[in-house]
Amino acid sequence: MDNQKIGVYVCNCGTNIKKVVDCDEVAAKALEQDGVVCAKSYKYMCSNPGQEMIIKDIKEQGLDRVVVSACSPRMHEATFRGALAKAGLNPYFLEMANIREQCSWVHVDPRAATDKASDLTRGAVRRVVHHEALEKRFVDMCPATLVIGGGITGLTAALELAESGNQVYLVEQSDRLGGNLANVDLTAPYLDSARDLIRERILRATRNPNITVFMNAKVESLDGYVGNFRARIAADGETVPVEIGSVVVATGYKPFDASRVKAFGHGTNPNVITSFEFEAMLRKGRIVTGQGRPPRYVTVIHCVGSRSEEFHPYCSRVCCMTALKYGQEIKAALPDAFVYDLYIDMHAFGKGCEDFYKQASEIRTIFMMFQKNTAPQIVAAGPKDDCEMFLRVDDKLSGEEVDIPTDLIVLMVGMEAREDSGEVARLVNISRDKDGWFIESHPKLDPVATTTDGVYIAGCCQSPKDINESVAQARAATARIMAKIAKGRIEVDAVFAEVNQDDCSGCRVCNDLCPYGAIDFDPEAKRSNVISAMCKACGACVTACPSAAIKGRHFTDEQIFAQIEGVL
Amino acid sequence: MANGFEPKIVGFLCNWCSYTGADLAGTSRIKYATNLRVIRTMCSARIDPTFILKALLEGADGVLICGCHPGDCHYVEGNYKAMRRFPLLKRLLDAYGIENERVQLEWVSASEGRRFAEVVDRMTEQIKALGPCKVRTALDFDMAER
Repeated sequence: MDNQKIGVYVCNCGTNIKKVVDCDEVAAKALEQDGVVCAKSYKYMCSNPGQEMIIKDIKEQGLDRVVVSACSPRMHEATFRGALAKAGLNPYFLEMANIREQCSWVHVDPRAATDKASDLTRGAVRRVVHHEALEKRFVDMCPATLVIGGGITGLTAALELAESGNQVYLVEQSDRLGGNLANVDLTAPYLDSARDLIRERILRATRNPNITVFMNAKVESLDGYVGNFRARIAADGETVPVEIGSVVVATGYKPFDASRVKAFGHGTNPNVITSFEFEAMLRKGRIVTGQGRPPRYVTVIHCVGSRSEEFHPYCSRVCCMTALKYGQEIKAALPDAFVYDLYIDMHAFGKGCEDFYKQASEIRTIFMMFQKNTAPQIVAAGPKDDCEMFLRVDDKLSGEEVDIPTDLIVLMVGMEAREDSGEVARLVNISRDKDGWFIESHPKLDPVATTTDGVYIAGCCQSPKDINESVAQARAATARIMAKIAKGRIEVDAVFAEVNQDDCSGCRVCNDLCPYGAIDFDPEAKRSNVISAMCKACGACVTACPSAAIKGRHFTDEQIFAQIEGVL
Repeated sequence: MANGFEPKIVGFLCNWCSYTGADLAGTSRIKYATNLRVIRTMCSARIDPTFILKALLEGADGVLICGCHPGDCHYVEGNYKAMRRFPLLKRLLDAYGIENERVQLEWVSASEGRRFAEVVDRMTEQIKALGPCKVRTALDFDMAER
């Protein structure tokens, strides 16, 4: 290890790092380290010229270890490993120091931040000395896919895969396909029938021989790894084992329970209904009050459960356009009715949505803006009034308190994560954010992949979205899967644990510790062995082995000890 | 002693929850103390008690261990393994007179950027109040007695 040639590259990330961290100083200090033969500060290491610089130095200066001090390794480790490979160096001879997300972006004092960046870089330099060349492993890719959820997203994913000739197991928890969209009348902003959208897909899915649909079903367990999962599906009182290569989670959302907003009296006042209850009326073609009469005044209230301190902080995204749609559907059915639209902010962000907003104004929907975190109050009507009740609104635009006559109130309920989202997350081994939505691998660059290879998320289970976005995500996920299927074999990480047979005492402590059953005991040799294809590299056995016989590749004791020495 | 004392704290963070949470603090531009030096492991179950002792011996004034919340481990139950090891390590640290607050175990999820920043700030303040770690003195004394 004495004659190593380490190159250190300190990224400025434009000004993202440089404005707080003195990158030149970090590079100069790195050059003082044993084994470091070149250290450079550069504006964008991840850019093509940045990577070319590393490749050129590896070739010309004979570098055999590379440290990149830049963003999080979760962002660009793969990029720089690629650069090493391109230069003919084993990609695992790279170590990154995170001086952006965990330094320049969280600190303001340039002196302290620069010192910290130097410490982290020194830790990386000391660690990389102990890195070993690792070879990538390849495993076969099973072309079948498990799709969880039979709404528009799950159906789209299933059809896309099946119509390309791949086997799909579609698991739906309820007794019908179509999800929440099956309860909707027309869709915004083009007023297409939701029934037409969904029914055609259900027919195609149920008739496709490549799709096995499980109704009233639940995925009981999921084991294995990308390309080689095994799932057990419980349906009709029996459990069906299936082998799949990928999983698409399309479990959707749950409508917000409007009765939680006490002021509106949903559930007790028959003239206060949710948007989904109103959709049912629209589908029947009969808009009536709780008293069975056609309403003269209909009030639509936005953001029920959404954009609120008390319930959900986020915007549910589809309610604004759905509310505008109601104005048009009500006016079409009851031309003399008045429609009031009470909103906090009008979010008309999608294609065709501003035009739709304009149409709603043209048919004389009466818009009123109210303050966030306040709710319009219901006030009883007198015997001489021609309405069921009044809604007292603090109209933000006129600055006046206005009582508006109302016969029927429609609450635009937002979306929330399903109650079983935690259970689903554990089943497929992915994470949830603070609101219960599943977390994607990268919010911008990798929106449908997750931290578990081979498991994809699509549609509203990731966060509220409209139909076109959900369909786009379903197709994005299937494109990712089909790319893997087309290759036939997939590359899996070279990081796993291995048992040194000479040091193993055969105590079997590790055997039960492995959550994946990846450690096998050979009774004749009285030694334990790691089945590398099943190992997910958590390192639990490495730490637990009393004989220190298990090595966690790429996270060895030597590497971590060296890094500790380096950062201090 | 506490006057102007800037402790060095080593953090061992699991890749999936806590390291991601720390990255989120960064992307959200949440500011926190500069005293922490993070070392990434795949799982909190990989954090060997010897890593913590090594850090203290190398001059760390504190060690922070972070993993996924119980029930949320990327590796099913690795954090429970970390959780079980922790009291045993604490007993050993007690024997050497290392104060309780110097080695802390915290659960930080991938969505808890703010919480991560708060944990680092709180721990930094606690260690500042304690002053530099005297583990070396304790060990030297121990060796002299033998």
